[in-house]
Amino acid sequence: MPATNIETPTANVNKELEHQFVTELENNQNIVHKVCTLYTNDREAHNDLFQEITIQLWKAYPKFRGESKFSTWMYRVALNTAITLYRKSKKRLKTEDYDSVIYKIRTEEYDPGEEQQLKLMYDAIRELGDIEKALVFLYLEDKDYGEISETLGITEVNARVKMNRVKNKLRSIINP
Amino acid sequence: MDELEFLKKDWQRKGEALPRLTYDEIYKMIWKKSSSIVKWIFYISILEFIFWTMINIIATDAEYFEEVKQIHMYEMDIVLNIISYLILIYFIYKFYMNYRKISVTDSSRQLMKTILDVKRTVTQYVWFNISLFTVTFIITFYASLRYLPEGRKIIENATQAGNETLFWLFIVGVSVVFIAILLVLVWLFYKLLYGILLKRLRDNYKELKQLEV
Repeated sequence: MPATNIETPTANVNKELEHQFVTELENNQNIVHKVCTLYTNDREAHNDLFQEITIQLWKAYPKFRGESKFSTWMYRVALNTAITLYRKSKKRLKTEDYDSVIYKIRTEEYDPGEEQQLKLMYDAIRELGDIEKALVFLYLEDKDYGEISETLGITEVNARVKMNRVKNKLRSIINP
Repeated sequence: MDELEFLKKDWQRKGEALPRLTYDEIYKMIWKKSSSIVKWIFYISILEFIFWTMINIIATDAEYFEEVKQIHMYEMDIVLNIISYLILIYFIYKFYMNYRKISVTDSSRQLMKTILDVKRTVTQYVWFNISLFTVTFIITFYASLRYLPEGRKIIENATQAGNETLFWLFIVGVSVVFIAILLVLVWLFYKLLYGILLKRLRDNYKELKQLEV
């Protein structure tokens, strides 16, 4: 059951649209993967959420007219799916090896102290609520407050206030 | 460098360590079925409409109408039935219009609000049915006592025993308890059903709303 309206395009247009969409998503898939790493705890759930986001993006794609960049549009759909539409299955618990994906990268560049700090911060982010995670995510992706407030549907002032609170929370965890 | 700037830098480098799907893998995904909460709410809502309408249909068979005639409630029952179907149509229309408004490209807050609106429409329909059921129950119960031979006998006996007021108090008491139990059961059922389904959504919505205070 589509959550949004889709006009059924004719076969040819449809093929074209499919190709366009899949190519765009293939090129921008990192955004979706990053959302998945924040909102899920194991590989299977990660894939599950990735799939749901893909389906939602595809359903909404006919309405995407390119007024904004494909990636900008993706942030919103991906976050909305992760926060609101996706139903976490509770049957699985965190598997050990998965966590490493998020930290293991390029660690050789950091000294052990820095590495420890990063690990602490990533652990802290995982403990945050859905909305807080979204704020941190948009911050990490370098989005300005205008875009953050539009994505979440709150005012810019409130986005700032809340962001500062979350940042302080994270700082206090690494510098107790 | 600030710890968070440091984190941001690290985060933005993560690209190459993330899983990478191929064109074909993504292509296959777009044909998979969604299992979003919106879908769940849609199906549950449809079931609710069917359930309450079925109850209405099952309860009003030919035999029922014979009984209703006996207690002089025929006309009133027809009227109540017409009203309830009109209201059903109204609710289905409202439900459909709200459902169509759900858009994953809205802001998070708006999306949550629209989903909760859809659910509220269905809940209103359920409460309407319960109210209708309660009203029908009270009137039918009263009319049965007044017009059915068994009912009359019970009233007569009570009057002869000299405690008519007490008798009516008893009847009112029984009705109130019966209706209260029914309401609590329905309420519990919904609390459980939507509690499981919508708790996270409601909490998140509350959080976004609180930001506006």
